Amino acid sequence: MRAFNAELSKLLSLPGIWLAFLIGAFAPAVIAALDSIAQKDEIIAGVSTRLSEVGYIGLGFGVQGVIILGVLAVSSEYLTESSESSGGQQITTSLTVVSSRLHFLLAKAGAVTVISILLCIVAIMTTVSTTHLILGEYAPAFEWSRLTGAICYWSFTALLAFGFTFLTKNGILPLAVLMINSSIVSFSVLLAKVTKLAFYLPDRAGIEMFMFTSDRSHTPITGSIFDRFYTPLTGGLVMFAWVVVLLMVAAIVFHRRDVAS
Amino acid sequence: MLTINNLVKHRGTQEILSGISFKARPGRVTGFLGPNGAGKSSTLRILLGLDRATSGSALINGKPFAELHNPLLTVGTALDGSGAHRMRTGRAHLRWMARAVGLPRSRVEEVLELVGLTNAAGKRVGSYSLGMGKRLGMAAALLGDPEILVLDEPVNGLDPEGIRWIRTFLRERAASGNTVLLSSHLMGELAETVDDVVIINHGKVVADGTLEEVTGNHFTLEEAFFALTSEHAGDTV
Repeated sequence: MRAFNAELSKLLSLPGIWLAFLIGAFAPAVIAALDSIAQKDEIIAGVSTRLSEVGYIGLGFGVQGVIILGVLAVSSEYLTESSESSGGQQITTSLTVVSSRLHFLLAKAGAVTVISILLCIVAIMTTVSTTHLILGEYAPAFEWSRLTGAICYWSFTALLAFGFTFLTKNGILPLAVLMINSSIVSFSVLLAKVTKLAFYLPDRAGIEMFMFTSDRSHTPITGSIFDRFYTPLTGGLVMFAWVVVLLMVAAIVFHRRDVAS
Repeated sequence: MLTINNLVKHRGTQEILSGISFKARPGRVTGFLGPNGAGKSSTLRILLGLDRATSGSALINGKPFAELHNPLLTVGTALDGSGAHRMRTGRAHLRWMARAVGLPRSRVEEVLELVGLTNAAGKRVGSYSLGMGKRLGMAAALLGDPEILVLDEPVNGLDPEGIRWIRTFLRERAASGNTVLLSSHLMGELAETVDDVVIINHGKVVADGTLEEVTGNHFTLEEAFFALTSEHAGDTV
């Protein structure tokens, strides 16, 4: 518990984390606002095919905030001090404070999970209020099951970013891969057009916890790649399995690795 | 008490440590000397559980580091640099450490005062000079008021006043029964601080004894060091 408190304290005293908070808390609301404004006429006329997605799209994008959080939690440990100070790293201090590496990793993962959950709750509040503000009585009813799905999606994504960075020790690669994948073009969604195996990739499976709730494709543009493949629960379980496996690999690698290497 | 017993470390095909053995005893300051690349840092990192030994053991009060329950209360360490993230303030760095150990915030202010960093505690570590970073590292090592201190090159980068402070401080720690192990390649500074000396070269101990024993017939510790670590070094003292 003390190690967990220390990890929370570490994360909250890192300036970079405020960028994660800013993106996580407000980007979903901004996207939901833009989407609501664009769709407003169709929704009021009752012809919108995407009513069920309003707001959730923003929550899908906002996951970038927790990607930054998960990556920074680990990459900050391995950031080298200036060469003048002979290249020290915070990880040496961390491991001389908590002697068990597994304990350290779990405490850190716990802190990342808790902050992700809280951040997603804030994002849900800003997103729901924004949609209500713009669409008024036409705003879709947000279901608790789907919102819980979004919270799970955020915390699992944060943990994937976290585990990935433990393997690379450097934030640039995981940050680039995960942020591009969740903003510009989802590699797994495209791959799903080619092979059904891609539906087992963590982001594609996990997003079904709160998106694509209808069996039909929603718009002619998105087509069949956005069709349901899992129930929200199975989608969540598939993503969770990825999280467990990645964290186990990260724990084994971290346990065996010399800090100096 | 620190006990290093027949420590061997391979990295790739290279043998970094070839059977290092020595002890650092309570009530004494033990100087761990060697040229750059001799294996000083590797030995300290294994002692602190950061790197793994290929064989042999390094024990702190008879236990490996990983078995210490709340290590900061037993052994305080200062290795490369400050050991802090450069975007965090000095105070925030010590505060998360204090939380991990279960120490009150007032202890953070005490150690900041002790190392003379109170005025700079609210500044980001990235803006610290080398000497200030070293002082922060010392503050972290002293946070849990441990009975053992392990310091890698503690006087490196300190100004004359800082060096004098460290020297007096370490002497006092040892005088009150604590164990101090410090590595250095600065002979002059060390000779005035240490009771016992261990010299390593190419991953092997070439001298181990009290300051007088190791200095032996040489005029200074520095001369003894060069005699022992030059290519035609003699046998272990």
